[in-house]
Amino acid sequence: MVRVTTLALPAPPASRVDRSGEPLIRAAGVWKIFGRHADRIIGTSDAELPRAELRAKTGCVAAVRDVSFDVWPGEVFVVMGLSGSGKSTLVRTLIRLIEPSAGQVDIAGKDVTAASQAELRELRRHTSSMVFQHFGLLAHRRVIDNVAFGLEIQGVSKAERLARAEKVLQLVGLEDSANSFPDQLSGGMQQRVGLARAFAVDPKVMLYDEPFSALDPLIRRDMQDEVIRLQHETGKTMVFITHDLPEALRLGDRIAIMRDGAIVQLGTPEELVGSPADEYVENFVRDIPRSHVLTIRWIMRDARPGEEDGPRLDVRTNVRKAIPVIAESERPVCAVEDGRVVGVVDRETVLTAIAGESA
Amino acid sequence: MAVAQPAARAVAAPAPRPWWRGRAGLVVAVVLGIVISYFGWRNDVPWPASLTWNSLAAHLDSFQTWLSDHRNLPHPSIVFRAFNGLASFLDDIVGWLTSFFFKLTWIGTTVLGVLVVLRYGGRRAALGVAAAFAAFAAMGLWEPSVRTFALTFASVALALAIGLPLGVLAGRSDRFARAITPVLDAMQIIPAFAYLMPIVILFSVGPGAAVATTLIYAIPPAIRITALGIRGVQPNTVEAATALGATRLQTLFKVQLPLARRMLLLSVNQTILFALSMVVIAGLIGGQGLGDVVTSGLYSNPALALLAGVAIVIMAIALDRATEAMAIRTDPAHRHLTEGKKRRLRLYTLACAAAVGLAVGLGYAFGAGSVWTGWTGQSWLLRQVQSVLDYVQNPSTFVFHITNPIGNFIVQYGLEPLRTFFVATPWPAMVFGLALIAFLVSGLRPALIVAAMLAVVGVANEWTPAMDTLSQVLVATVLTLAVGIPLGIWAAESERARRGMRPVLDVLQTLPQLVYIIPFIYLMPVSIVPGVMASVLYASPVVIRLVEAGIREVSPNSVEAAGAFGATRAQVLLKVKIPLAREAIMLGVNQGLIMVLAVVVIGGLVGSGALGYDVAQGLQRSLFGQGVLASLAILALGIALDRVTQGRRRRRLGDLA
Repeated sequence: MVRVTTLALPAPPASRVDRSGEPLIRAAGVWKIFGRHADRIIGTSDAELPRAELRAKTGCVAAVRDVSFDVWPGEVFVVMGLSGSGKSTLVRTLIRLIEPSAGQVDIAGKDVTAASQAELRELRRHTSSMVFQHFGLLAHRRVIDNVAFGLEIQGVSKAERLARAEKVLQLVGLEDSANSFPDQLSGGMQQRVGLARAFAVDPKVMLYDEPFSALDPLIRRDMQDEVIRLQHETGKTMVFITHDLPEALRLGDRIAIMRDGAIVQLGTPEELVGSPADEYVENFVRDIPRSHVLTIRWIMRDARPGEEDGPRLDVRTNVRKAIPVIAESERPVCAVEDGRVVGVVDRETVLTAIAGESA
Repeated sequence: MAVAQPAARAVAAPAPRPWWRGRAGLVVAVVLGIVISYFGWRNDVPWPASLTWNSLAAHLDSFQTWLSDHRNLPHPSIVFRAFNGLASFLDDIVGWLTSFFFKLTWIGTTVLGVLVVLRYGGRRAALGVAAAFAAFAAMGLWEPSVRTFALTFASVALALAIGLPLGVLAGRSDRFARAITPVLDAMQIIPAFAYLMPIVILFSVGPGAAVATTLIYAIPPAIRITALGIRGVQPNTVEAATALGATRLQTLFKVQLPLARRMLLLSVNQTILFALSMVVIAGLIGGQGLGDVVTSGLYSNPALALLAGVAIVIMAIALDRATEAMAIRTDPAHRHLTEGKKRRLRLYTLACAAAVGLAVGLGYAFGAGSVWTGWTGQSWLLRQVQSVLDYVQNPSTFVFHITNPIGNFIVQYGLEPLRTFFVATPWPAMVFGLALIAFLVSGLRPALIVAAMLAVVGVANEWTPAMDTLSQVLVATVLTLAVGIPLGIWAAESERARRGMRPVLDVLQTLPQLVYIIPFIYLMPVSIVPGVMASVLYASPVVIRLVEAGIREVSPNSVEAAGAFGATRAQVLLKVKIPLAREAIMLGVNQGLIMVLAVVVIGGLVGSGALGYDVAQGLQRSLFGQGVLASLAILALGIALDRVTQGRRRRRLGDLA
């Protein structure tokens, strides 16, 4: 008789994230305080005050407070927070669209905070690229000229930049609209132009500032798929700002949750949903179906003797996808990591986990 | 007790205060104080001679003589050479342009004008331009029209050459905008009549002086609208360009200027209108063309002056429509030009240029003159206008029975008593009273400025004429507000009223200041009245528009909320819209005063006396010292009136644009 002893599901794709070398982006102790003499506040006890008190006392607003993180090559790093949490300011300080008040940012081994204006322009032209919430397209130019704009800024010749823009337009499926003008396109299509413009300069780092917030939910989903697809095809490193938790969970390899300018938790989607750092994060993730995010690692129990020959599943399999296998099997399913059984999951554990999320 | 107090204050609502306890009550009290001082010390306390610099006028006269002596030396010093050079440069520009149009012949000029507008502005606008040319020919005013156009064109080109770069700077730099705003404010509250004298002294009389006068008037709107356009470019497009590594110049030329293009062209449009409204005044100091016809016809041939006024209006409307159409039709953000379309347009441009060349060639081949000298209906038109003027002047007609009593009523119950009151009131009461009102309405700084400005008026020995002018301004402003505020509210409440008023207001706003006065010289030929009525007509459109805009801008949410509570339309208007539009209405009062002053002093040319008369005398009889002092007094009065009514609002860039 044939028993299912091999993996019942294909293992999730191996991570694209390359942690072998240096991180591509490194932010260390970044502050941004708006207002007069803001630089005098950092380092004093005032900096620790809650936002409203700081504002009442000094008239300054602390938008970003002592934020540090690393982003590895190929990673999708999501910064999530409500409006006013400082996430959009944070992403702008990375390429100094807003000057950080303190802290250091390195991108691709270069100290951005110490860069001269010329170096900064070089970085913005060749290393990074940004997609904006309100698109920021040029209404007086055709779509293809918009896409080629970054190359034009760099001084690339007209024939070459139009040829490259055409290729990128194909990548985002807009080759038929090359000669249209932005106001002739729907919002979703306009943001595809924004995406294409960012891709056209072939940057190492893509920065997304709430790119899909202005779009309808259905189109938003399409665009998320588009970003996932492009990310898989091109392997770009991405910093993605959003206020939408499901979007963060869908896209992010790691997610930083911001509140009042500071990061309250930084971790993988499972870590956020599985073990929220505080009540604030817990409130956020409460309505997320845990079975969609958690892998069986989070619900498995230790194997009892004799249970180790059941059907096997990779420990990174998500609970929802594991349910059919567990339901079909008479025996507890083994969770496998690197060929070793590290735990088992049976119907009872799954039911408990699902019951837990509705409570 | 000490602990309980703040809590109690936070909870208790402030007790309603009767109106006389508020600021309005204090203002009334100050006015009452001035009135009491009038009855107590009438004519007893004139501006003291000890506080007057009597010899100032003589000093200025000798300064002027010194200036003209040194200017005309065989080898003038570098400063005078610079001024002479500038003056002749401006003269020459106008001269070149005029002779350029003349050399094209009248056929060439017409075809050039019509085809340029046809190519960039479309058929309707081109038709308007063609009609304007026909009108100039029919009125027999072709030559002065071309001269006026050359003068306007030169002024506008220079105003834009200065205004656009400064406007771009003000649009991109907050610091520069803050620095330049007060200068622009000052330039715009100075009545044109006040800077004629200094300009004549610097540039002497001629087209150059006319251009310089027009520049002062036309540059501020050019700067403001340009800055507004640059600032109006969506910040996220600028940010996107920066994020792609654009330099500041790349951002300016590839993003900000193209996207602000429509506003930039609008600023061209506004500059043209401002410049055109100055051509009549420019006619006083040597600007040739229609303005000259108006000012010299004012006494000798009023029908011709009126006709020339109409020609200016026609030119203004044609240019306004043409430039507006060009601004809209050439906007790349809305045109969606593809390569094919671009190629076709290039061909079209070539064809137009060829047609202009052909027209000029034909003009020479058939010996067409530099100006239209064929048939005109001028004498017929003049007869018609004259007969209307005669009709309204005839005491036996129906119109006379309406206009004459109105004019007399205004003089008898408004102007005369008020003039007596202002002139006879003790000067300390006036100075302190007005400063106090400025303090109550606008704050401490404006109050100090008002006191200083009135002191300047007194020291310059212009106290009595200034008080005379002030009384005229006050009467005219009251009339303006009585007309403007209700009409503004009506226009805001009724779409039909707004649409009906719009063309009338458009025409009134394009009329040069002096042209308003001419009909009233005949309609109400009582010394001061024409100036006052003309200023009412001149200032009302702006008041109407400001009030209308203010009420229309009241948040629809507030109006909807009031409606949801069952407020009637009148209640919504009185309790929601008007209170919320207070700032706009206050701005209307402020602007109304400034504009009234500008025209009231022009009335000095036709018998209003007071400060305007002194300036006119200065210009026409070469009484320079007196003219300059009167100009100074007008300027001081303008600043004082502005500060009294500016309110506590912060002036922002574009307030007046």
